[in-house]
Amino acid sequence: MRDYASPGVAIVAVGAILVAGVYVLAVLDRLLGMIVAGTSIRLGALLAEPVQSGALLVLQERRTTERPDAAGWALAPALFGGLAAVALAMVPLDRDIVAADPATGFVVFSAAIAMVMIAIYLHGWSPNSAFALHGAYRYGAQALSFQIPFLLAMLATALPAESLSIVDIVDAQKSVWNVVREPAGLPLYLVVGVAVSFWGPLNLPDAADLAGGTVVEDSGLDRLLWKGARAAMLVAVAAMGAAVFLGGWWGPWLPGPAWVVLKTVALLVVLLASGHLLARVRIEQFVFVSWVLLIPLALLNVFVSGALLL
Amino acid sequence: MILLGPLGVALAVFVAAIGAALFVRLSGDLPRRPVPTTPERTPFAGGETPAVHAWNRYHARYYVMALVFLAFDMEMVFMYPWAVVFVREGGIAFVEMGMFITVLLLGVLYAWRERAFNWA
Amino acid sequence: MARAGLQLGLKQALGRVAAGAPVPVFAVAGQGAREHVQDLRLDGRLRLVDSPGAAMVLLIAGGLPDGLAEPLAHLHDSLPHPRATLWWPLGAGPATWPQQFVPTIETRDGVSETLQAIQRELLRGQRPGEPPILPDEDPVPWKGVGPYGQGGTGMTGGTPYGRPMAELGADRDGLRLDVLPLRIGPFFPRFPPGLTLDLKLAGDVIVDVAPVESPFAGAPPVGVCRAGARIFVDALSQPVPVAGLELARAREHLRWLADALVAVELGSLGSRVLRLAAELRTSDGDSIRTLGRALRRTQAIGWATNGVGRIPAAAVEGLGAGPIARAAGLPEDERTHDPAYSGLGFEPIVQRDGDAAARWRQRLGEAAQSLELAARAGDRRTVPTGSVESPRGRLDGEGNATARFLHLLPGVLQGLEWGDAVTTLVSLDLDFEEAVFAETARAGAVAS
Repeated sequence: MRDYASPGVAIVAVGAILVAGVYVLAVLDRLLGMIVAGTSIRLGALLAEPVQSGALLVLQERRTTERPDAAGWALAPALFGGLAAVALAMVPLDRDIVAADPATGFVVFSAAIAMVMIAIYLHGWSPNSAFALHGAYRYGAQALSFQIPFLLAMLATALPAESLSIVDIVDAQKSVWNVVREPAGLPLYLVVGVAVSFWGPLNLPDAADLAGGTVVEDSGLDRLLWKGARAAMLVAVAAMGAAVFLGGWWGPWLPGPAWVVLKTVALLVVLLASGHLLARVRIEQFVFVSWVLLIPLALLNVFVSGALLL
Repeated sequence: MILLGPLGVALAVFVAAIGAALFVRLSGDLPRRPVPTTPERTPFAGGETPAVHAWNRYHARYYVMALVFLAFDMEMVFMYPWAVVFVREGGIAFVEMGMFITVLLLGVLYAWRERAFNWA
Repeated sequence: MARAGLQLGLKQALGRVAAGAPVPVFAVAGQGAREHVQDLRLDGRLRLVDSPGAAMVLLIAGGLPDGLAEPLAHLHDSLPHPRATLWWPLGAGPATWPQQFVPTIETRDGVSETLQAIQRELLRGQRPGEPPILPDEDPVPWKGVGPYGQGGTGMTGGTPYGRPMAELGADRDGLRLDVLPLRIGPFFPRFPPGLTLDLKLAGDVIVDVAPVESPFAGAPPVGVCRAGARIFVDALSQPVPVAGLELARAREHLRWLADALVAVELGSLGSRVLRLAAELRTSDGDSIRTLGRALRRTQAIGWATNGVGRIPAAAVEGLGAGPIARAAGLPEDERTHDPAYSGLGFEPIVQRDGDAAARWRQRLGEAAQSLELAARAGDRRTVPTGSVESPRGRLDGEGNATARFLHLLPGVLQGLEWGDAVTTLVSLDLDFEEAVFAETARAGAVAS
């Protein structure tokens, strides 16, 4: 029987980590933005701003549009947040600190990633608004393109563990981390990780050229929940990357959970920096590169790392 | 949920997160506010009002790519169990999956030649 | 009772926290306001947003012609409650808008502080949110069958919620799917102020496009000419210092770049460029060249723009389209006819490709070149010849490059994916304001 916490503890712990993660992400993103912009950094304002802006959105009323799909509009951010929570619940903080470690943890995580497409499509469809609808269909093309390389990049880490359990995958990295075993894996994972939570250069469904895309009609709590869920998904992607590529809890001196947090923050910085340093990619180009470059590369990664194991 | 073990816990987290988000959204609607007027509900198009509804039979021009995706998605289903037994089965697993993938990659090459990944 | 009290207490506590947040502002830049609105991006006390749904305050800056009153009212009503509107005249005449709009503030610092004060009052309940301006009427009379328009013929069998559905249309793929008619502008954040496009979209591709006549065009100015364009308009009728003219040109190019960077999701880099533009000196040539390298590294000149929106030289020949023409390889430049420039070693920079990337490179190159010219010009003054090379091309009493280029826009945008169309539009740097003031300058010259 695999390890798991009691449901109540798991819900509270995952919820707390998610909220803390979203806050840290908001601060980091703003900090990186200020560094790139060259503005002077005031620590107090930097730390307070996410809370203040969040409170502002809570107080703002929700907008609605002419004849929207109201149920879908309510459900989309909730579903997105739920998927981010499940994805994060699969990440172990230490060998015996994990919300849930099913034998198929890997499959649960990838299922959550795959279902993100439904949440985003629903979010773009519901308001009955042209820009939002375009964002939704764009993400369709984006999701169909990144899912295969995403899974392949992660799958290579299951080979040495001979298991689909995330705890086993981390455990198998005691002597050598997967980032060394399969050097192409982490960069591939990060590229598609940015695509999953449509951040920075791959923010195509909520892009500036669509005046906000799927989120264009949202205000108040709708906007807060959507932005929160999106940030939560990026946190989950970074945490999973830290677990399956950077050896999770393995590391000298510090206790295991500290290493997981440190590695997650390091990956978050890389993911967020891409948003300030790389221009928006054209959707057609991303589809092309995904199929013609990323998928063959990911397959090569699987087979080379597999051959080295034999 | 305990019966389902770790999967049950994962499900509980999923349901709780969705429930929490919906609860927050619903509680934001208290107290009830007046119904917004029609102009307040205009979808954004830079100040202009739309002539028609946005919902339409959308021409998703990447449909050929979506078909290629289907083939690869099936391949992924095979690769999950394959990854687990790979080290135990050794070379034979390597060769078998290699053949399968080669066929699929040839498909990608063909799709590329047919410009399935370009549409605009 | 206790619950209501708890709710009120929670609301007040949240209001106190939220009052310090950067004010989300949807800004409308009218005549004379472009630079002022742009510079607001550098102010940490507020945040310019892309859609009214994200905003708390609607900021109307500069002068707007009467033709924009109705779209502005729609925009106003689209802001979520609680909302407020602020008018920032910047030298424009009295507001023609409905009386709900709050009166004037004059200085730049004043604007941010007033915005903050408005937000604080709104969140603490000291100021009521503005009611909608427009009457609560359905846009089109109800013609459907049943509450959702179901039950008739066709896709939905009626006119659901007072609006028809998109209709089928032929497509270059040979398929018949819906073509979505859509009018976008004049306050779409990626469009130049005043541009409205009538589009037909099949999926994400533009199948038909027609620019709607700009409310700026043909109308007398309702504000003052913005600072960046002022010197070029002045140069039409009087000698101006070459150094000042060239410095203004470099500044205009950098200001365009700041907006273009926002469109490719590089807003923080855009802020850096904006600061460089505001403090630009003739010795900053190296900064611009460094910037060019950075932009190639970010792929803003690269995968985001390569091959997008190609405009061949033949299409723009003789239009005086400035950087657009020179990016396509045409060495058209009014400065070559100006005796003030002879001996300065001026030679128009040209690119070959004529795509969006070439236009980005072109403007960066010209900005650096302008600084060199400004350094070499000493106290030379231009000779008024009736036409001036503005940052957008030939400017004369008849209008500017934008006015002459506009009829080519449909041909350029047709068949492009929406994102590419926006990239192309941004790379063209259209400006309706310049033409208005150039025409006024000519009228003034005739009168005197």
